[in-house]
Amino acid sequence: MPFQLSDEQQLTQSSVREFAEAEVLPIAVEVDRNHRFPEETVPKLGEMGLLGMLIPEEYGGSGMDPLSYNIAIEELSRCCATTGVLVEAHSSLCSWPIVHYGTEEQKRKYLPDLASGAKLGAFGLTEPNAGSDAGGTQTTAVRDGDEFILNGQKVFITNGGYAGTFVVFARSTDAPGTRGVSAFIVERDTPGFTVAPPEDKLGICGSSTTPLFFDNARIPAANLLGEEGKGFHVAMATLDGGRTGIAAQGVGIAQAAFEEAVKYAKERVQFGAPIAKLQAIQWMIADMATDIEAGRLLVYQAADLEGRGEPHGNASAMAKLYCGQMATRVTNEAIQVHGGVGYTAAYSAERHYRDARIIGIYEGTNEIQRLVISRNYLK
Amino acid sequence: MKIVVAYQWAPDPQEATVGESGTVDFSRAKPAMSDYDATAIEVGRAVASAAGASLVGVTVGGASVAQPVATKAALSRGLDEVVVVSDPAFESAGTLPVATVLAQVVQGLGDVALVIAGDTSIDNGARLLPPVLGALLGWPVLTDVQTLQFDGTAATAARTLPEGVQTLSLTGPAVIAVSADSAKPKAPGMKDVLAAGKKPVTVKSAADVGGAPAPEGVVRSTAKPSGPARKGIKIDTTDPAAAAAELLSALRAAGALS
Ligand SMILES: Cc1cc2nc3c(=O)[nH]c(=O)nc-3n(C[C@H](O)[C@H](O)[C@H](O)COP(=O)(O)OP(=O)(O)OC[C@H]3O[C@@H](n4cnc5c(N)ncnc54)[C@H](O)[C@@H]3O)c2cc1C
Repeated sequence: MPFQLSDEQQLTQSSVREFAEAEVLPIAVEVDRNHRFPEETVPKLGEMGLLGMLIPEEYGGSGMDPLSYNIAIEELSRCCATTGVLVEAHSSLCSWPIVHYGTEEQKRKYLPDLASGAKLGAFGLTEPNAGSDAGGTQTTAVRDGDEFILNGQKVFITNGGYAGTFVVFARSTDAPGTRGVSAFIVERDTPGFTVAPPEDKLGICGSSTTPLFFDNARIPAANLLGEEGKGFHVAMATLDGGRTGIAAQGVGIAQAAFEEAVKYAKERVQFGAPIAKLQAIQWMIADMATDIEAGRLLVYQAADLEGRGEPHGNASAMAKLYCGQMATRVTNEAIQVHGGVGYTAAYSAERHYRDARIIGIYEGTNEIQRLVISRNYLK
Repeated sequence: MKIVVAYQWAPDPQEATVGESGTVDFSRAKPAMSDYDATAIEVGRAVASAAGASLVGVTVGGASVAQPVATKAALSRGLDEVVVVSDPAFESAGTLPVATVLAQVVQGLGDVALVIAGDTSIDNGARLLPPVLGALLGWPVLTDVQTLQFDGTAATAARTLPEGVQTLSLTGPAVIAVSADSAKPKAPGMKDVLAAGKKPVTVKSAADVGGAPAPEGVVRSTAKPSGPARKGIKIDTTDPAAAAAELLSALRAAGALS
């Protein structure tokens, strides 16, 4: 299937690249070094319409197609993986389920602020005892009149420290397994809801990854998202789209590492000539380029299926599985092309290598993607 | 009232390759809008909005200028509409034929208060187009304009020149060439990208504007400037004092200073 991006998709690519190179790239190294959340970028992302790409125009978004959105995630991640996941978690994981499962009232209340960036979004599924086994949610939601009372703990929540709107999963009925789980919209200033300090991480160091605590946090029953007991379904459908976004993040990280490796190979002279003249280096460059292109096409395919309303869970799991491994391979090779300086903070190769490692973990590990994919063939 | 921005959609020199003999190969460079023209549109947008005028982009070129992705790229930067004269006959046409066609389009639009253009172009950089266009229209031309205000009747322009800053006011139509630092072009937002496809585009052929241009001289070759070969000495400028000392000793070693 030959892939031709539409005019709008090509323009999204060039515009987001222009924006990211002007506003995101200049602070990427510092954000990584200081483990600093790039808070000042949020209003700029909002103004560019990059926080409302998955939100329809009637709720203040730009209502872009999933492929344009994934192209934007790739371009942002090419400059700064922290900023890529900031937008991805906000859009795919928080805005998307509200758009697709929210009531009209919920959409009117929450989407405009998410689209403008007045509020950042987050998604709280993972718990200390429920990671890959996401249906093993232990956080509880007990109905009390017009309210639900939430108790429990979430971990590793992207944007946790800065989000104003959280989509959170909790067990609200006695039904066993995944059937007892419901989704809720939780506002940051809810009494009894607290956000703990962020984790110290290997990569995407500027991203705010925090635990969330619910201690008799009362939320209006009107904030139930989707049907009661169908929360696990909401989570899985959300991740079907989200995984493509994470794969796109991996493509962006790999692309950055690749471009820097090419540049370095042309400049670095050993044995009297640029190392780019060595076949060993040429083969690495060829393999990296091919690997990235394969990953990008899997992303485009998954996003295109989603945009046409086709089932895309298998395609997104494949894209994420492939890109998780590809990004690690490519960034590893980029360090090799750089030699010793690639191992130092003088070049960005080591940052890309650290950033790439998360792709195969969050929104379902490589092993979980294999589970999802194999189920489609071994039914 | 209309304000026109003349822009160019040409192969991006960033993507051109320079051969070892100095030949420049544009064959693999994708066309794009230059930063100079993006700056001109940014200035034009601010001026047109303040004056309540509509902002019309005009370009002359080969087949690529009329491609929807090209017109949408221009429109996404804030133009209200574009008029493109697209014909293989205008592929890499020189300044005079391009300016002649631009002048004709501007006159045809009617009620044009200002024509704004970038100070220079990305391909040839001859800086000739605004003066030639002004001459053909019989309008005053201001070059090197760094700030521009227009209230619908009178324009005030500040020109930054090596000698100082000159501020002028003028009434009546004029051609304004804005400098690269007159505005910082902003990347088009997602809503601009989507809106671009809904704005009016007029495409004209060479026949619509009086036929193909007369043949001009052709570029026979390009080469590196002759002169002494570069020494390729790179000086680390982290410490300015050390860098200055290193520069002085390099110049002395080369015999440029005694
Ligand atoms: C930086 C960061 C950001 C994150 N952001 C979010 C967020 O915004 N929201 C959110 O809800 N979560 C988030 N997470 C959590 C993330 O999705 C989980 O860490 C991930 O799903 C894995 O869960 P776990 O850490 O509990 O690992 P575990 O589930 O304990 O897995 C440990 C190992 O066992 C393997 N394994 C587990 N089960 C199986 C199985 N059935 N078959 C084969 N192998 C298996 C895993 O693949 C892995 O190798 C984030 C995590 C990180 C590190």
